[in-house]
Amino acid sequence: MATHGDGTHKEDLKIVLKDIGQVYHLKKSADGSREFQALKDINLQVRAGEFVALVGPSGCGKSTLLDILAGLTRPSSGAVYIDGKEITGPALDRGIVLQGYALFPWRTVRRNVEFGLEIKKVPKSERRGISDHFIRLVGLEGFEEHYPHELSGGMKQRVAIARALAYDPEVLLMDEPFAAVDAQTRETLQDELLRIWDETKKTIIFVTHSIDEAVFLADRVAIFSSNPGTFREIVEVDLPRPRHNSDIRSSAEFGWVRHRIWELLQSRPSQECREGGNIVVKDAISPSATI
Amino acid sequence: MSVTGESLRRFLLRWSGVAVFLAAWEVAPRLDWIDPYFVPPFSTVLREAGVMFRDGTLGMHLVVSLWRAVAGLLTAILIGMPVGFLLGRRLVGVEQALRPILTVLSQVNPFSLLPVFLLFFGIGETAKVAVVSWVSLWPVMSFTITATRNVDPAQIRTALSMGISRLDLYCKVVLPAALPTIFTGMRVGAGLTFLILVAAEMLGSSAGLGYLVHNSAMNYLIPRIYAGATFIVVLGFLLNRLLLHVERRLSGVWEAGAFVTGPAGPAGAARLPGPAVSVAALGAVLIFIVFGGLEVSRINREAASYPSEALKHFGHIGQPVDR
Amino acid sequence: MGGTNKESGHPAWRHLNKLSIVLFLVIWELAPRAGGLLETFIAPPSLVLKTLVEFYKSGELAGHTAVSFFRAGAGFVVAALISIPMGFLLGGGYRPFERVVNPVLGFLGQVNPFSLFPLFIIFFGIGEVSKVAMIFWVSFWPILFSTMTGMKGADPTLVRSARSMGAGVFTLFFKVILPASSPAIFSGLKMGAGTAFFMLIAAEMIGASRGLGWLVWNSQINFQMPRLFAATVLISLLGLSINGLFGVLERKLTGWHRKSLDGVR
Repeated sequence: MATHGDGTHKEDLKIVLKDIGQVYHLKKSADGSREFQALKDINLQVRAGEFVALVGPSGCGKSTLLDILAGLTRPSSGAVYIDGKEITGPALDRGIVLQGYALFPWRTVRRNVEFGLEIKKVPKSERRGISDHFIRLVGLEGFEEHYPHELSGGMKQRVAIARALAYDPEVLLMDEPFAAVDAQTRETLQDELLRIWDETKKTIIFVTHSIDEAVFLADRVAIFSSNPGTFREIVEVDLPRPRHNSDIRSSAEFGWVRHRIWELLQSRPSQECREGGNIVVKDAISPSATI
Repeated sequence: MSVTGESLRRFLLRWSGVAVFLAAWEVAPRLDWIDPYFVPPFSTVLREAGVMFRDGTLGMHLVVSLWRAVAGLLTAILIGMPVGFLLGRRLVGVEQALRPILTVLSQVNPFSLLPVFLLFFGIGETAKVAVVSWVSLWPVMSFTITATRNVDPAQIRTALSMGISRLDLYCKVVLPAALPTIFTGMRVGAGLTFLILVAAEMLGSSAGLGYLVHNSAMNYLIPRIYAGATFIVVLGFLLNRLLLHVERRLSGVWEAGAFVTGPAGPAGAARLPGPAVSVAALGAVLIFIVFGGLEVSRINREAASYPSEALKHFGHIGQPVDR
Repeated sequence: MGGTNKESGHPAWRHLNKLSIVLFLVIWELAPRAGGLLETFIAPPSLVLKTLVEFYKSGELAGHTAVSFFRAGAGFVVAALISIPMGFLLGGGYRPFERVVNPVLGFLGQVNPFSLFPLFIIFFGIGEVSKVAMIFWVSFWPILFSTMTGMKGADPTLVRSARSMGAGVFTLFFKVILPASSPAIFSGLKMGAGTAFFMLIAAEMIGASRGLGWLVWNSQINFQMPRLFAATVLISLLGLSINGLFGVLERKLTGWHRKSLDGVR
């Protein structure tokens, strides 16, 4: 059943988001105010090897949060700590996979995967072995010398994943990576992702629109509301693992969790209010908090 | 089988019009439908072209014109691309501030600047190369600015998330992504180059294809005019096709499925030119520049030693020379 | 990346934008005073302005401008009158015929006009006709090709709806196809006008005894820099105005086109 749990031990906290806020200064906006608060009071603690999904409507700041986690943007307030150290910018300890693959079309699959290794200044002799490993991991053996435009959407996404994993980041940040593929491929990729996660044991933060996807993949689901973007609630997904290659999507428990999250995303105030370092409950009804 | 049959049919159809045109060109003057003095039959023109080819005239003028075009284009690229990169991404504000001036400057009629260049740089090669550079600088720079700005932000975001250095970002991400569009700019520049080069050669030169045509006109060597003109056309056409081909090959690798390969299979057909080919091409261009340049200055020196010839081209066609 | 937009990030610079032209003029004015090469080769705006005023007063300005405009105008108008109907015929027609004729047209349209100029002079003599012919040739092609494109690009569903309402050939042409292709035709006209003026200057430099192009060339030969700059500035201004004029016309007459595109987007 879905409960909001705590159960985090200080020692194995991989990622800590503390009081993150993001404010944009605009020239003018609808109601004449000069500021737009994209994120407010974001607090989250993620264990090592955990899979956390962020679900919420468009434009509520999920991508902004991911940018902050990646170090591409500095938050207006608060800080992000990875392994206890505050991050100051982008680095090779985090990998990002974006919607739309963002593959470099002028590079072959192999050279795309090796991109991070080049930046890491891994010598050429080693690169091949590493890229071979990850290309095999994502199931694209035999396509090393192909160009992105010769691949299907699902294959391209796998290259993107391989590229993000190749330089061995501890954390994987994924921004709606499967949104651009068709439904069948999407389910296949979800299975693949869980298999890869099993093998590599990375800490994953996964942003998505789809409640189904979040429940299927994650250990915990953080539910976003917008205006300003903040965590309405964080729900633990207590479904058994391994979930890939199984029929769990049609089970009753799955449906229950799914419904719970769906409810939370509607414009209904949360009935409960819990204390705890990693839960924030938003009472205000946000009219745009629908999917 | 049917594929080749189809493309053969299309090929024939395309060139049949040209064939008819050429046939008319041959027949009409012979039958006196058109005054053969003004329009010599195609075969005569061809013969004249053959003569010019054999005695080296054609080759000489061709090399001169081509050298000027290449040198000018190269200068435009060497200046326009780096500046375009800077203005495109790094100094966006500066570009916005300078935009009105750049727009105005790029639209000033280059022909009206030609005399300024001639005065400034003198009658030598520098003036012509400078004019060509000016004319191609604007499209190259403008396309570079646009191209560097429109790189897929997702790709940039991905690269940045890896903590890439700024230099690497430009070299490994922005440059390759922008290359097809920059190439289009080069192609536009090349087209303009050709146009203005011929005009510049007519106005103040003692060698080159434009000079050839102009000079033939003034000496009423009519078949030669046609030969020269046809040659300019063919050259321009070939150059454009060459650049188009390279551009398509580059874009073909960039864009998903946008590559039109023709009968050859789709997958695996689009390949970037390997480093070996690129280096070879670059080397060929450099060699051409160096040796061509030497050749051109030799030609100029020789031409200058025929004073009457040199003076003649400053006059206008049909005008007394001292005007 | 994140929320930063590269375009909007520099408000301060954007205001500089308007100042930049002023700055340019100031530099232009002051540079020659530094002496040396700059003084010899560059005429400052103040001098250019003075020269232009003198020109105007002496009537020279009007004379040369009129000549240039006449040549460009005549060539352009004749080109439009012939190429637009031809474009309709060629664009609306029979596919195999098109496939045969188009390559020839494409080829001819790419011929470097300067290489033909001496031919025109030999045909038509040194007088006005050769220049007008040159302008005709140069503006003919863009208008022709745009008209053909416009013809072909006329939305077939529009044609089909009109026909289903029983529209005859003439009605169809004048009330459906012509308006539908007018944006393309206009764009071709704009390009043709710009090219016409552009080439005219060159043509006048190479073989003429009057006109703005000749003025530039003549000033160069006689090393009269103020005159040269004055003529150049005038040519640029005229070129810009022609472009602007056509732009305004285009917007007024075919504004619906752009707006409907926005709707589709």
